Amino acid sequence: MLESPSHSDDDLLRLIAKGHEPAFVEFYRKHQGSVYRFALHMSGKTEIAEEVTQEVFLTVMAVAKQYDSERGSAVSYLYGITRNFVLRCLERERPYVAALEDVENEQADAMADEHDLLSELARNERIELLHKAVLALPPAYREVVVLCDLNEMDYAEAAGALGCAIGTIRSRLHRARALLMEKMRAAERCAV
Amino acid sequence: MNADERELLEGLHALASDGPRQAPPEVEARLLAEFRKRSRQRRARAWLSAASVGAIAAAIAVLIWIGPLRPEHAVPSQDAAVLADETAADFYPLPDADGLPPVESAMVVRVQVPMSSLELIGFPVNQDRDSDPVEAEVLLGQDGLARGVRLVE
Repeated sequence: MLESPSHSDDDLLRLIAKGHEPAFVEFYRKHQGSVYRFALHMSGKTEIAEEVTQEVFLTVMAVAKQYDSERGSAVSYLYGITRNFVLRCLERERPYVAALEDVENEQADAMADEHDLLSELARNERIELLHKAVLALPPAYREVVVLCDLNEMDYAEAAGALGCAIGTIRSRLHRARALLMEKMRAAERCAV
Repeated sequence: MNADERELLEGLHALASDGPRQAPPEVEARLLAEFRKRSRQRRARAWLSAASVGAIAAAIAVLIWIGPLRPEHAVPSQDAAVLADETAADFYPLPDADGLPPVESAMVVRVQVPMSSLELIGFPVNQDRDSDPVEAEVLLGQDGLARGVRLVE
């Protein structure tokens, strides 16, 4: 029944609801990368990304029969589940997140580290700094950066995934990029 | 787009391609094991439901069967046996009914069967319509076993 991997997500979810294993495998392999990367970029931790990926697909197994294509695409449905799990994990890891959000307030303490990072201006260090800046964004801004800039989703898909208007995505992304540039400039100033 | 924005987007692009891009294979293995476990449980539940429905149907059939015998102390009268014989004569006998004891008291159950099942009792069946449903009455003997069948017009 499932000879070629050409089934739509809607078909795959219907088959999963009936207990069709090849459909589950195809659906998992098609989407696990984007779910994993979203969780990884949102949390900054591989163990959380792994946990979220597992929980998301366990949920798909359990609730696939409730999926209604008229209420949104399968990708939106999947990101909706993923987002809930990620936000739950971030809530649980609040001390870690709070620490990241306080980056600007702790610049004096971190100045020596940042000085070391920026003195070499090496690519990896810059990426690491940017990664920290992304993680320090408030979740509502972080998720649009992760979806649109890191997972290369277009505005319409991101709006579907987050359940908001395209205009909201555009304005949040604009604000998020401005915040990132501020953080990067602040880090550069500290380095000088 | 100014130089800062361009630099930021380049950095984000580099960040996107940095680090792991896939969940480790253990996650897929764990999920598959769980999927198989749930499928087994679902099959077991479906089998149990079917068995329960069968058992309930059998219990109802027994209750219906025992009900009319109770006032007669489970001993069929001579008149009842004659009536049962006459009733049985209206039915086409089923292939295995010959080896069963004669009908002493009977019950008739109306059922819907696919037309193809009528071939079993020698009715000619149009192959194009063999999955069409047809109403029939089944004659059950005092032991609950089917003796004959007749079509309902």
